[in-house]
Amino acid sequence: MLIEEILIFLSQLDAMKILLYFWPFFLLDMTRYLLLDFLVIILYIPKRYLQRHQYNNARKRLYKERPLVSILVPGKNEGKHITALAHSLSHQSYKNFELIIVDDGSDDQTPIICKALEKKGLIDLFIRNDVRGGKASAANTALNFSKGKYIVHIDADSHMAADSIEKILLPFYMEENVGAVGGDVRVANSEESFATRLQAIEYMKSLSTGRTVSSELGILRIIAGAHGAFRRDILLRLHGWDVGPGLDGDITLKIRKLGFRVVHEPMAVCYTHVPDSFKKLAKQRFRWDRSIVRFRLRKHKDILLPSKSFSLSNFITSAENIFFNIILDIKWWLYITQLIIFSPEVMLIIFIINYVLYLIANILQFLIAFALLHSTFLRKDYILFLFIPLIPIYTGLYLRLVRTYAYLMEIFHGASYRDKWNPWKVSKIAEKERL
Amino acid sequence: MKQPCFISTTSLTDVTLNIPGISDDAIDTFDNSQTSFWLVDMNDPTSGWNTVCKLRSNPYPAVYLRPIVYLMGADLLPEEIYHAANGHIKPENMNQRTLDSWASKLEPINLWIEKLEQPNTAKDTNIAFRVLRLIACSDREVSPTTSTRVNSGFVYPLLDPLFSKEDNSTFETLNFLLEQKLINSSFVSKAHFCGHCESAFLNFKETCTQCNSEDIVSDEIVHHFKCAYTGKISDFRNNDELTCPKCERTLQHIGVDYDKPSIIFSCNHCTHTFQEPEIQATCFSCSRTSSPENLTHRIIYSYSMSAIGKNAAIYGLDTLFTRIMESKLRLTPMPVFKEFYAIEASRIQRYKVSTSSLTLIHIANMSSVYIRMAHRAKELFEELSVIFRTTLRTCDVMTALNESTFFVIMTETAPQHAERAIERLNERITALLGNNLDFIPEIQSEIFKIDENIELDDTLEAFQEKHVD
Repeated sequence: MLIEEILIFLSQLDAMKILLYFWPFFLLDMTRYLLLDFLVIILYIPKRYLQRHQYNNARKRLYKERPLVSILVPGKNEGKHITALAHSLSHQSYKNFELIIVDDGSDDQTPIICKALEKKGLIDLFIRNDVRGGKASAANTALNFSKGKYIVHIDADSHMAADSIEKILLPFYMEENVGAVGGDVRVANSEESFATRLQAIEYMKSLSTGRTVSSELGILRIIAGAHGAFRRDILLRLHGWDVGPGLDGDITLKIRKLGFRVVHEPMAVCYTHVPDSFKKLAKQRFRWDRSIVRFRLRKHKDILLPSKSFSLSNFITSAENIFFNIILDIKWWLYITQLIIFSPEVMLIIFIINYVLYLIANILQFLIAFALLHSTFLRKDYILFLFIPLIPIYTGLYLRLVRTYAYLMEIFHGASYRDKWNPWKVSKIAEKERL
Repeated sequence: MKQPCFISTTSLTDVTLNIPGISDDAIDTFDNSQTSFWLVDMNDPTSGWNTVCKLRSNPYPAVYLRPIVYLMGADLLPEEIYHAANGHIKPENMNQRTLDSWASKLEPINLWIEKLEQPNTAKDTNIAFRVLRLIACSDREVSPTTSTRVNSGFVYPLLDPLFSKEDNSTFETLNFLLEQKLINSSFVSKAHFCGHCESAFLNFKETCTQCNSEDIVSDEIVHHFKCAYTGKISDFRNNDELTCPKCERTLQHIGVDYDKPSIIFSCNHCTHTFQEPEIQATCFSCSRTSSPENLTHRIIYSYSMSAIGKNAAIYGLDTLFTRIMESKLRLTPMPVFKEFYAIEASRIQRYKVSTSSLTLIHIANMSSVYIRMAHRAKELFEELSVIFRTTLRTCDVMTALNESTFFVIMTETAPQHAERAIERLNERITALLGNNLDFIPEIQSEIFKIDENIELDDTLEAFQEKHVD
């Protein structure tokens, strides 16, 4: 009965009606997230193949120079993850690194675990800050005592593929002027829950593919804190990270403002633990999404304005982010309003068709991700394909609701300034100074 | 009426009172039965202290337990010497009334000495027993004082003159008495000692965890809230102010706009950075450097008599050794031994067909081994008993003077055969103590052919004089 109605509805559609009923998909999402991704990746894959000799040469240059790399891991109450992380690092193909762990006022067993690992030589420097200062302060502490030419920042709950350090360093030896390289972040605990499986798919298509595309277009706006490499001289010039949350996106923009390139390296794989319930995930995304408003609209609004240091690529980077994330978030509410007012009788049919369209888009996106990342796919990653039918609901409803709420709370209430993610005294000053 | 006995060590003291006076060479021969206390001349502290040591190391209880009062000189005495005496008299207060007052004050000690059996003739040779008696008769808590004069850093002033050598024996003896529940302890302090030479004089220092260099500096870490810059305080110093190197703001109030989350050390030698420096201790005495876990940790106690100890101090240490000896070796009491000797001597004289030997054995320094072993001394003694039992025959008659001196009548054994038995005994005891305790015992022995012309008492006494401590 419903299928019949859908078929009748479809048979009555002409081009104008298609646009009228499905403009968000055809005009925006399909263009930006499917066609653009497809076009860029289809060019990127052969380009990467053709550059294989350059990569080999870059690798030779890296091993000839053998620069010291400082791996910084700031965190609070992360002791339970540190042992696995330290062991994963001991199997790295690139060996000339120092591991610096900064404990940001943990109140669990972290100091005991880390001191034991430091004694065993698995950690080169462990710094315990008795007073919690927030993630930026902990990262800056580590930066201040690092000695490497390159800095790799990773989250404590991450572990790395055996060639990850080597791979993330190669872009510095491929091109001049690369200031920072983003590593590819995958979900370590994808088999843990329903929520983690959906995030694993999201990470592959949005983070891995999305950032590779952004990098190719020269508009990469974030080097993930979970896995990013930086030139130490640039970080020292910037005096390290600023107060978060959203400090990784912030430092990326600051590096771009200095005129350096930031790129994504999809073959430098790092596995991170993601929230294992939808409640925890909502909290995490609430924090991430607010930082777009705080940093893009407030702190780095100068990128959008004409000035001496105006850069078109930086402008596009920020403008694209603001347009597709903040402004287009409104489109959904406009679209729903449009349907309620003008076509309430076919809303269900339109919703089902939209679902099918987005499902097809997601399958194609997953295939694009597979084409790009298949050499680093694990067996468990193939099973994720079965969960793709749920992705349109996950991203289209769940994440959108969280995002809209986050934007509203940040725009009207500056909620990020009261986030417990930072110590209250730091948040108080950040709010007062509107940082 | 008892009187003090003045022991002069210099010619400077002008004692005008009518009390007996002797030089310290005459201590042994002086009849001290009417002496209330030894009045030791401390005008020359070194000579005075030597006199105190002589008095306390004398084997007769009537001498070494007798109270000591210092006739003070002009010099201030070190704490550990000052407190070794039972009392002190300043020269300006030196009069009959003061002497009488001290005599009556110290009379309980003399009364305690009088309770002992033959305090002037029976020697106390066991150091642990002497310590026990000295604590018991002074009836006070024996507390330590710190001293730079001795390696161990702690001295029990009352007991110090008993110990001639500067080693750990004071602690070991007190620990032995404590293990035997003869004294009680109460906590005074905790101390670290060098693991090699037991010296308390240690230089604790913070060193680099990587190269062990002592040339390290510490820096506070400062976190500026506004810009999240975090670095050494030296990065922030700007004349008298702290200025953030990142945002160039002047830091105002700790806890308000900045804090100091931790301290970090840097090595000037190898540039290593670390938060917890390695602690090392260098001994002033032997110059060895060790980590704290390799030092000897000891609790320093003060000691007082237990009820069992009070009884043991008067009636003698009926030690567990004696009990073990009696049960394991079937020891014969001394009077029975003497009786048996007389019978054997007359039997040999009468029939003139057989030869028996009298063997006297002394294992030197055994008391210090027992004390070192503390509560495990019992096990050592049981092992020794097994060696004796398996080396000697059931027909041999054995008695013990103490835990390290034994007399054996080896019936129907010629002296040369007895010598072979003693050699075997020697080998086994040396193996036991050498392998397990790193202690090579000195076994002294004499073998006599038993005959009526040998005076047993004289022989035993001569052996004791010659060998027993």
